[in-house]
Amino acid sequence: MSDNKKIGDKELAAISVSVIVFGGLMFHWVAELISTLDLLELAYGTVKLFNNPLVF
Amino acid sequence: MFSTIWSQYKATLTVFLVLLVIVVLEVLQVRAAIYPSLLPAFEWLKNSTPLGYIGTTYGSIYATVQAMHLLAMGTLGGLVLTTDLRLLGVMFRNTPSEVISNGTHKAFKVALIAAVLTGIFCVAGVADKVYYMPVFWVKMLALAVGAAFVFLVKQPLLNSKPHSEINPWIIRGMAITSILVWFTVAASGRWIGFS
Repeated sequence: MSDNKKIGDKELAAISVSVIVFGGLMFHWVAELISTLDLLELAYGTVKLFNNPLVF
Repeated sequence: MFSTIWSQYKATLTVFLVLLVIVVLEVLQVRAAIYPSLLPAFEWLKNSTPLGYIGTTYGSIYATVQAMHLLAMGTLGGLVLTTDLRLLGVMFRNTPSEVISNGTHKAFKVALIAAVLTGIFCVAGVADKVYYMPVFWVKMLALAVGAAFVFLVKQPLLNSKPHSEINPWIIRGMAITSILVWFTVAASGRWIGFS
């Protein structure tokens, strides 16, 4: 890394916030996915991709 | 010694100070304590304001304002994608990223104000319904985080020096996070419509 690209205060703050916010949002969406799968399992007994109760 | 570190890493220390305050507030359950006291404000917004009256009485006006809200949100999303995909080097590679980020930021401010103003009207008509929706609060939180991220973190860094002098991985990290934040705002908004 060249000297003029050294990580300063604003860069450090930006990457810290980015990592924290990205981690929080990924946690949120993964939790939503898990709860959706749980609901599907509760409703149909099993989880299939493109789960459609009208198609056997 | 502390003042030296503070003056050298003011922005970074502020970030961790804010994070610490949020963690302390959550541990003390301040959010849960405030939540019930917000219900009267939402009921007042729907039942005792002209916005709530118009929103619940005139479907055509509500639909028109909601269309304007969607257009404002669409503009916001388009501007975010234009800026962040340029920062990632995916599109508009022949145009300097400084030109694109400065140009889109001006329009971003207008679109954000339009989205917030029309959003208040949209909420007023269904305030007692959205109050109980967790996904509404996810959208509000994501909107606040997204706006704070743009105005306090992303734009100050991008304006501070030529982008070629900023570590490219930091620019990429900011761009990906920005896209994810505004995706969450959009997805939560549509989830409110679905509920």
